[in-house]
Amino acid sequence: MIQKRWKTDVLVIGGGGAGLRAALAAAEAGSGVVIVNKGPVSRSGITLTAAGGMQAPFHKDDSIEQYFQDTIRCGYGLGDPQLARILAAGACEAVLDLERYGARFVRNEDGEFALGQFPGQSRPRNLFVKGGGIGIVSALAKACKAHESIRIIDDFFVTGLIKGISAGKSIIAGAMGLDLRSGELTLIRASSVVLATGGCQWLWEVNDCPTDATGEGLAYAYRAGANLIDMEMVLFYPSVIVWPPSVKGAFVHYEFLAESILDGNVYDKNGQPVLPKPLPVRDQAMRMMDKALCEGRGGAHGGLLWYVGDSPKGSGAVQKKLNIAQYNSLKLHGVDPTTAKIEVAPGAHYLMGGIHINEECQTTLEGLFATPECAGNFDGANRLAGNGIAATQVFGARAGRYAHRWATDNLMVKLDPASVEEEETRVARRLTTHSGAGTDDMSAVVNTLRDRLRAMVQRYTGVSRNRSGLKLLSQVAHDIRQELAYQQVPDQKVYNQALVDLLQLESMCDIAMLVAGSARLRTESRGHHFRSDFPLQDDANWLQHTCVKQVGEKPEFGREPIGYFDGLSRFN
Amino acid sequence: MAEKASVISIQAFRYDPDRQNESYLQSYEVAVAGPLSAMALLAKIHEMDSSFACRTSTCFKGQCGSCLIRVNGQDVLGCVTLVRPGESVVLEPHSGYQVIRDVVVDFSQPREG
Repeated sequence: MIQKRWKTDVLVIGGGGAGLRAALAAAEAGSGVVIVNKGPVSRSGITLTAAGGMQAPFHKDDSIEQYFQDTIRCGYGLGDPQLARILAAGACEAVLDLERYGARFVRNEDGEFALGQFPGQSRPRNLFVKGGGIGIVSALAKACKAHESIRIIDDFFVTGLIKGISAGKSIIAGAMGLDLRSGELTLIRASSVVLATGGCQWLWEVNDCPTDATGEGLAYAYRAGANLIDMEMVLFYPSVIVWPPSVKGAFVHYEFLAESILDGNVYDKNGQPVLPKPLPVRDQAMRMMDKALCEGRGGAHGGLLWYVGDSPKGSGAVQKKLNIAQYNSLKLHGVDPTTAKIEVAPGAHYLMGGIHINEECQTTLEGLFATPECAGNFDGANRLAGNGIAATQVFGARAGRYAHRWATDNLMVKLDPASVEEEETRVARRLTTHSGAGTDDMSAVVNTLRDRLRAMVQRYTGVSRNRSGLKLLSQVAHDIRQELAYQQVPDQKVYNQALVDLLQLESMCDIAMLVAGSARLRTESRGHHFRSDFPLQDDANWLQHTCVKQVGEKPEFGREPIGYFDGLSRFN
Repeated sequence: MAEKASVISIQAFRYDPDRQNESYLQSYEVAVAGPLSAMALLAKIHEMDSSFACRTSTCFKGQCGSCLIRVNGQDVLGCVTLVRPGESVVLEPHSGYQVIRDVVVDFSQPREG
């Protein structure tokens, strides 16, 4: 069944901001690198949607220590401090690295970086990348293409990780995947693997991410036996557009409502402002918005109305502030954000939990590295604005560097035949040569199951959660996975999108179970995780991570102390 | 004829290099509640017929170019090109790149000729 075999020192899965940065770091250190991306690099992935905020303590009154303290405080004490410190200490260098690769940041007339101050930042710390996330990815992709040791493979859908055997021990030795353009099932052997696959926000019916955000990397790490932590910690963004349909999923900035920026608000259907001033941090704001929606104060399409049209800063300031790509794009759809009330609701924006990593971005599996967004948890229970992009760069570079070091110290190992067979079967059993008949029925089944899963995830692991809802979601995700068990798609050779849909949905079911189970275990409320049946923060019992790993065929949920890492720290 | 106005009629380009047959246009009708972007329309066709291939990723800003497509003979960004209820459209691959399958193109390969 395997039709193609490749070898590389370091395999990077995912070609967004983090994966490209990891590839550059590994290649600059001397490794040969293959990047595989399920779409075309710089035309897919979550980084492109970023507005372009990135935190770094450049201000004269700012410091690494204050950035670190802000991150820990804003995360309600749940972030791993050793990771938060690495982020704070590495952010300025990461900005300068991005400039070296060709990205451009907005500067003041005196040549210093222009710095904004967003909620939760004790000093102005937010830099603005020209071109937003696209500016970052374009620069990094160009640098990768120019590097002779980096090969980028677009339209390559990884289907699972491959294990090898070294001195009787199981370690990660590569990945299996489909080269969508040729249809060939491809085995990539690698001395080390970096997961840079992003989050799973597309599981939620309301989210502001591209359809790529289905979180396979998390599912593959889980199936291979890695520890995942704080999977209940999903950051919701207050102002995701819910109407009209052509712009659903785009977002308008919550931060622009701040007094220092445009001083707007979100309003209920009666025109009453929902948020107090000074503007609260995001999670507090969303509880207020969720409460307003639950009280029936929402508009015609289930949202509240984001509005800056009457800004005391004046219409000139509004037009100037909103003269950026994402707002100009709204105008093309007939929605003018400088004057219109825009219907928004809280939607999934970022995954704070994820694959557990140590300071070297090593996961609990040898040979496997991960970088945010798919790796957690430096944020804790809430993330400061501007930390997402910063983390892709700081940890991306580290993941690449340490993956290179691992590849240098550990030569390619013998493949575990059982692992290869398992991953071959995962794909082969989904394909049928019984052509034509029933194709529409098959896609209808998969679509229906997917929609049901996404609606349930939105409802039961959204801004407000409770035990019975989470229990129900776990059951539904399990049932949908069972219903999917015998689904097949035609053996379409070139660009088998139906197969990708099916395999993605299987991963989404796994992740929904992990999110629901972790959220159920955490019997308290903290940051973005709000339990209506346990509405208070419980520091006595819950100043710790939830942790999940696969044991047998099932998830085993447990707790782990903050800052603890259950695995080798090889490089210390 | 309110019902008629809530439908968009599409002629969509189909091509599979593996089947070595000529490309052809396939008809689809999509029921809509209001205007839809050409990109959202393609996703709807894929929902109805999973054998129809299209890219679905977006940057939400009309900039990344994942959705480049040819609508009624014009190369456009599919995410910001609106199609209204009652309209008929021909959806083809962007003319600047080689076709992988259906309307999915290879952005690294310019189309010759």
